[in-house]
Amino acid sequence: MALAGAPNVGKSTLFNALTGARRTVGNWPGTTVEVGRGAVAVGPQTVAVVDLPGAYSLDPMSPDEQLTRDLLLATDGSAPDVVVVVASAAHLARSLYLVAQLRETSRPVVVALTMEDVAARRGQRVDAAALTAALGCPVVALDPRRRSGTERLVTAVEHALHCGPLVPRPGARPAGDEDPEADLRLADERFGWVEQAVTAAVHETGARARTWSDRIDRVATAPVVGPLLFLAVMWAVFQVTTTVAAPLQDALDALVTGPVSSGASWLVGAVGLGATPVEGFVVDGLVAGVGMLLTFVPLMALMFLLLAVLEDSGYMARAAVVTDRLMRRIGLPGRAFLPLVVGFGCNVPAVAATRILPTVRQRVLTALLVPFTSCSARLTVYVLLARTFFPEHAGTVVFAMYLASIVLVVLVGLALRSTLWRSMGAEPLVIDLPPYQRPTVRLSLSVMWLRLQGFLRTASGIIVVTVVAVWLLQSLPAGGGSFGEVPVEDSVYASISRTVAPALDPAGFGQWESVSALVVGFVAKEAVISSWAQTYALAEPSSARSPGALGDQLTATFDASSGGHGAVAVLAFMVFLLAYTPCVATLAAQRREIGTRWTVFGVLVQLVVAWTLAVVVFQVGRVFW
Amino acid sequence: MTTLDRAPFGVTVRIAPADRSDALERRLAELGLRGGVEVRCLQRTAGGGRVVDVAGARIALGREVLQRVRTEPTGP
Repeated sequence: MALAGAPNVGKSTLFNALTGARRTVGNWPGTTVEVGRGAVAVGPQTVAVVDLPGAYSLDPMSPDEQLTRDLLLATDGSAPDVVVVVASAAHLARSLYLVAQLRETSRPVVVALTMEDVAARRGQRVDAAALTAALGCPVVALDPRRRSGTERLVTAVEHALHCGPLVPRPGARPAGDEDPEADLRLADERFGWVEQAVTAAVHETGARARTWSDRIDRVATAPVVGPLLFLAVMWAVFQVTTTVAAPLQDALDALVTGPVSSGASWLVGAVGLGATPVEGFVVDGLVAGVGMLLTFVPLMALMFLLLAVLEDSGYMARAAVVTDRLMRRIGLPGRAFLPLVVGFGCNVPAVAATRILPTVRQRVLTALLVPFTSCSARLTVYVLLARTFFPEHAGTVVFAMYLASIVLVVLVGLALRSTLWRSMGAEPLVIDLPPYQRPTVRLSLSVMWLRLQGFLRTASGIIVVTVVAVWLLQSLPAGGGSFGEVPVEDSVYASISRTVAPALDPAGFGQWESVSALVVGFVAKEAVISSWAQTYALAEPSSARSPGALGDQLTATFDASSGGHGAVAVLAFMVFLLAYTPCVATLAAQRREIGTRWTVFGVLVQLVVAWTLAVVVFQVGRVFW
Repeated sequence: MTTLDRAPFGVTVRIAPADRSDALERRLAELGLRGGVEVRCLQRTAGGGRVVDVAGARIALGREVLQRVRTEPTGP
């Protein structure tokens, strides 16, 4: 059984109400479009339920709609035995075009009528019996948000499964007729059929009044005030993903590096393996890797919860209207603003937030741009370097990095669009504004939980494996010495860094100390400073504000590698740090949202941009400085 | 004959039949904006678009779209 229907009619809500805790969400092969799968008990048997992406019709205009079409019209037996078309009573006419098309085939169809309360508020009543007669298939009214009426739907589905194929409605076109003129006539015929059904079933019970939704929209989408309100909402989202999540992250981090690590050490010691490589593997590899993953959990949970609330309330559609003009300049719809803003806090939830975008191309482009937004982890490194090398102008230098970040997003966006997606026209703004509604707690929490599970399932492996791999490289001696007991500069890790270092000579920081910090920064930007501390065998500075001895060492290193242009080399290093791969967790999130190939492509683009910019900054800078 | 971007606010106007069928036309038709349907412009939006009342639904349209939708006077 498949759930289909126009976007925003309550398909997924119905899906959740029907399948309860048994649902799972999987990525459909080949695309990032999500298809929900679950099961529901229909009479004595268990029926598999597929929740399809929203589509107004079977004429594919986006990958989502193509997927819906392929699944519904499959002829190889994988097609659903019964299609439940979810139709909104408030927007009946446009919900029924899909029914018109499906009724041209013999596929059994059941219509689930939702949002009667919204229609009623607007003075409309839909007569389900009259609609059943007009459509020639059963119509069941229900309210999935309050989980009422689902039993009646199940009964209707059971009945439809027993009865088998329907007689197609008259006026269906012969298969294979692709004449565009006929297309137009056919669409007109379908609209006519739908209109008859609507006229027969809808009773106007009162005058149409301005709803409170309209009153909110007078503010939320208005010129000047609308964008200001949007900025306020963005600010709130940014605050939550940074200031609220940060203490939770720190607490989890402290818990893992403190009690959990010592507990693990003790356990390893208790089984007689203390002070062996096993202890290093467990404590510095496994526990550190899982710990890093854990610190992302509160952040991602908050982000997903906010997204769910913004989507469920109906505000997201308004945000798209307000930001449309601005984002259109780089070929993205207004909604792409949200992931990019969130990226300045942390790239990982920002990449996950790209799923609010309607098409795969827009999701891919935005997810590729997110890493160029300068996240807060990079800020700590900027501050340390700026305080050390530009004590007089530290604030200005850090601010300049943020400006550079915004410019990079715009320029890379334009570059990608004019090369890869030249055909991606800026689609004109046509957006349905659903009535505002109060987000339900259960719905928001369940959406959050679902997405968090997905993140953990796909991201956990890559994060833990990478942390363990870096630990392994640092423990392997390059020459003599035994495993786990080598100083960092004699490890395989340092020798790899030395091999790579010459590639960064033109940028003025081709030295293994700097390069190895960048390699560690690939895992997490937070680790760049502690990596330096480890390399120079110094205590990590208690705060980035007082670089102390580490600052002296850094000055010496950068001065040596750049032939006396240390300050310029540092600027080049900071630009490189801004533009290259943010962290392994971002890659994991990207892989989940846009697939492995696009993720690898993104890494290459970032490395090329980072290297080119760093070289340009150093080569131009040293002429003047 | 005028276009939707010049229709007065709060006044019901009728959409003229479309003379071509492209993706945008079809998308608008799916949302209920097609020939013979009566609609009402409700308000201006940031960015030069408008919110339009189409059979009770609220649709936000960009300026380019409004300029393409032709309207005809209502009445017998």
